[in-house]
Amino acid sequence: MRLIVKNLNILRSILNAINTSFEVKEIVESAGDNLPNLFQFSALGVLWKEESTLYLYQEESCPPSFTQELAVNMVRVFSILGEEPSDLSCVTLQVEKRKLRPSHMAMDPKATLKSYLVLPLAVEEEIVGCVSLNSDQPNAYDAQDLQFFSVIGYQMAATLKHFQRFSSVKTMAVFDTLTALYNRRYFEERLIVEAQKSFYGGPFLSLVMVDIDHFKKVNDTFGHTEGDKVLQAIASLLKASVRKKDTVARYGGEEFILILPETGLEEAAMISERIRQLVEKTLFDVGQAHINMTVSLGISNFPSHRARTKEDLVKMADQALYDAKRGGRNRVCIFNPAQV
Amino acid sequence: MAKENRGGKYTSDLMLDLYSNLLSEVWEVVSAMVGEAILGLLFNLSIKKISEKHPFLKSLEVSEEGIYSGKVKEECRGLPPVEIHRGFQSLINHLLNLFSALTEGVISREVFPKVFPKVREAERLISQK
Repeated sequence: MRLIVKNLNILRSILNAINTSFEVKEIVESAGDNLPNLFQFSALGVLWKEESTLYLYQEESCPPSFTQELAVNMVRVFSILGEEPSDLSCVTLQVEKRKLRPSHMAMDPKATLKSYLVLPLAVEEEIVGCVSLNSDQPNAYDAQDLQFFSVIGYQMAATLKHFQRFSSVKTMAVFDTLTALYNRRYFEERLIVEAQKSFYGGPFLSLVMVDIDHFKKVNDTFGHTEGDKVLQAIASLLKASVRKKDTVARYGGEEFILILPETGLEEAAMISERIRQLVEKTLFDVGQAHINMTVSLGISNFPSHRARTKEDLVKMADQALYDAKRGGRNRVCIFNPAQV
Repeated sequence: MAKENRGGKYTSDLMLDLYSNLLSEVWEVVSAMVGEAILGLLFNLSIKKISEKHPFLKSLEVSEEGIYSGKVKEECRGLPPVEIHRGFQSLINHLLNLFSALTEGVISREVFPKVFPKVREAERLISQK
């Protein structure tokens, strides 16, 4: 009985994680992070028809031959369901490797696929993809595993279907139309998720607020159309300067904000300084001219700055940005509690 | 309940009952493992595929509540029992293949003990003809 309750609690956490995901990749990662509490597996796969992409979340010691074998198997089973694609060459692979087992239990380089469960991801009789659990051990799964896995699969399907329905609405609701960065609304939602992870015993979390120095002059001198081009160019630089797990959003006007999960102060300062230098060294085309621009950046961090809420964290980054401006612009400032 | 005609031969009704019960049993066992929504989808996919060759199977109705054979029973009384047998057997085989492709032996291990005796029974009835 205790085991069932424990498993149900784990299942609840997994379903919750899937529900609060914003992207397919995130669904796979959220499920993958929690699944080891419920099953032993070498790889979790989600094939999403709309993107023709196979997302794999797998043990880091998974040999490439194993990855290939399970990808082929998944596409084969998907074809049996009567759905495209029927061939692996039509599918894009996105692999996320994690340490799912201790080093002394690393997978054999010659490991082959010995057990798997594949379930169609279906909502309202429409197949949106399939999900698979794969193992290099024989007879790894039984009927009870299938029961739990089908509940997870059902929730994944519902979330994917939701994404599909609202993808166009989401594009409008989530992205800033000028810069193609995430908009402020998405930033707020993302921050809730990341802050929850960090505030409840999770990893570090840093915020960086970025403001373009003397941007008003560009607009006044060259006009708003040229000003917009500068905004777009700086947005691209920001996007190119961060890691996959980071979020870059337009906060408003010429202000941007970066969420850097699992990032301590030192690392956040390094990333910020890299951005500052990159912008400083770039020549921006405005009309017939090429001009230099600079940015000021303010950093806040949890738990270093003892923020109690996500709003605190934003205010602290804003305060640090103010310090950077007041200190002469074109600089990175870390929030200083003594100055409050 | 056996339904025999004057010559003592089995009837189509008997065959329909046998397979109708079998499909309900399969539904009961597998829906507990994968849920009604996924199973309904798998049944519908299989019926669509197999009814290309055995059109009478189109009358099988699948919903999240289960599989309903009432309509197929009404419409297929006039069909030769052997044809009914072949159609349902193809459907069952297709379902088993699908279950195996999806979960290797996990579903088949539970379902096969229920399917095997019923299909043997159907074959026995056919051979008595």
